[in-house]
Amino acid sequence: MEGTKGVLSHLNLLKVQARGLKAQPQQQQSRVKELKAKVEALKMQREQLKAEIQTHKKLQDLRSSMDNRRAEEEEEMNEDSENSQLLRLMARHTQLKDLLHAHHLIGGYDIMRTRKGVCVSLATAYEGFYLDTYNLEIDMKPRVRVSRHNIPPFIPLNSLTEQTHMQTDLRPFLDTLSQHLNALAGRKQQLKLVKEQHQSVEVMESNVLCSILVLMLTVLGEKTAVLCTLDYTDHTRSLPTHVRLECEDEQLPDSPRWKKNCSLLMETPVHKALLTMKKMGHIV
Amino acid sequence: MDDSIKRLLQRIIKRIPFEMLETTLEKWGRLTEAQRNSLDFTQSKWALTERLLAICEENEWSIKSITDLEMIYIIENPNLGMWNAFQLLDPDEGAHSVDLLQFKKQFKSHLSELIRHVSVKIKKHTDEAVWIRIAWGDNFSRPNHLKPTYVVHHLQTPYVFMTSLNSKLKPLLSQALILSTKHQTIKDANLRGRNLSSIRDLLMRQYQQEFPTKYPSPLAEKNQTLSNRHIEAEHAQAAANRHRMACEAFGRGTLPQLQSAVYKLETKFRDHTNKTMTEREEPFRCVVKFTSTNLLESFRHCASSGIASTPVSPLLSSVPSKGRNYFVVTDNGPGPTQLSQSQN
Repeated sequence: MEGTKGVLSHLNLLKVQARGLKAQPQQQQSRVKELKAKVEALKMQREQLKAEIQTHKKLQDLRSSMDNRRAEEEEEMNEDSENSQLLRLMARHTQLKDLLHAHHLIGGYDIMRTRKGVCVSLATAYEGFYLDTYNLEIDMKPRVRVSRHNIPPFIPLNSLTEQTHMQTDLRPFLDTLSQHLNALAGRKQQLKLVKEQHQSVEVMESNVLCSILVLMLTVLGEKTAVLCTLDYTDHTRSLPTHVRLECEDEQLPDSPRWKKNCSLLMETPVHKALLTMKKMGHIV
Repeated sequence: MDDSIKRLLQRIIKRIPFEMLETTLEKWGRLTEAQRNSLDFTQSKWALTERLLAICEENEWSIKSITDLEMIYIIENPNLGMWNAFQLLDPDEGAHSVDLLQFKKQFKSHLSELIRHVSVKIKKHTDEAVWIRIAWGDNFSRPNHLKPTYVVHHLQTPYVFMTSLNSKLKPLLSQALILSTKHQTIKDANLRGRNLSSIRDLLMRQYQQEFPTKYPSPLAEKNQTLSNRHIEAEHAQAAANRHRMACEAFGRGTLPQLQSAVYKLETKFRDHTNKTMTEREEPFRCVVKFTSTNLLESFRHCASSGIASTPVSPLLSSVPSKGRNYFVVTDNGPGPTQLSQSQN
């Protein structure tokens, strides 16, 4: 009797186990799904935190530079008390400018109400210098529409309004547009600086969008010319997506020294990269 | 030596004003030191031309070098002909990466596929503009260098400017342009003018546009002394308002120079005193043309001085905002008269 009971209960146990095994894959799947969702959520959080860190860093830099400046100014003030009022005003001016800068850093736009909608002005800046300011007049009714602007025609304004769903939310549209304009300002400024700082480098080709830049470099000593093409395919960035070197000496672009130069050009603004290459004694 | 080369040289020298001849020849840089010294610029232009023709024979200049001289002169002085603006539409994937070399090669090969006898010369000017000179022939005759077409394009922008183009040749040029810039279509931008840089600035929005702002600059002076404060203040307010609206419509500072604006009206005649005209089924057709040495400046002045009403009529403000100076105005349903797109 006991033996049979034992067998039956054992069978029962096995049945339950088998059922459990059948259900397991489903459970596993749902668990995988859960984990995947968690990964996504964590990734999002990471991105957000990254962005926050960046903003904090920028703000910190700003604050420290402001403090430095303030300290300097205070010293000067003691030295020359006659000009102290002027200096105080100058200090106030810098402080306000820094505040404005911080306002732009956290994504603030200068928006003003108009008769039919709003007028937004987007300031562009590169390396701490304010460059061109662009304006957009946006009608709110009957539908959101850019009615007037001074954005150059080679910025794809129409496709940006469609891609970012301007009808429902203005913010993503303004953010992307600002990215495009700031990147353009950055590339333009870099080109200007290359022309100003590097007379030995010849700008062979450039365009209004500053998306293609062809430079003629001269190798120090050997006097061989290197044609360097910088391709800025991503128009929201002011760094190239592709760098190509051409030279009569076919081995040169593959040499470790020039490979390094290539990655330098990819990662640093072109006028600075050229300066480094000059200092290293690679080019004239 | 080919007679046509000499004839072309003669004509180009005739076009170049005397006082510009020396600098233009210098920029051209095809004269030797000795030849340059042998040119006496105190002589008459006729004598100089004779001397240059002799040098031409001596140096055996080709038609290419002579057209180069013409291009140098035209690039420096583009405001001699009537320029038409065209707009490239629907860019392909690769449109953003077309570089000069690629464009040059593609344009030349596409155009020569379309027409047998054609001579194309492409030059990049310092301000990033690509200048194209086209001398057209047909299937039986060689390119006529005496009547070239000039085309100006800034790569990666949607606009092309053309001058002296025969309407028969327009489709060929358009085809070559859209293929070499990687676009789908090209259309008339309905903007024309004598001043190339002005129509370019207007379309590229490179003039001082005025926008409402929270921070008007420069800050207005507050302590103005006025003789009769009450009257003066009333007027000043209205005038400032008019001036602001005029500037918002047309821009501030120096404005791009346009010579004309044309409105082709195809609207119903509305005047209750004139029953015969008002009751006509057909729209009343007429053309209104404004001309001035600087049209936008005139419009702005009219609006700010109160000759034209403010806010400025969209008919007038469309010239700078849409970047065109040819409009077809039609009745758009029962509402007020609206601008509608013209069919080229």
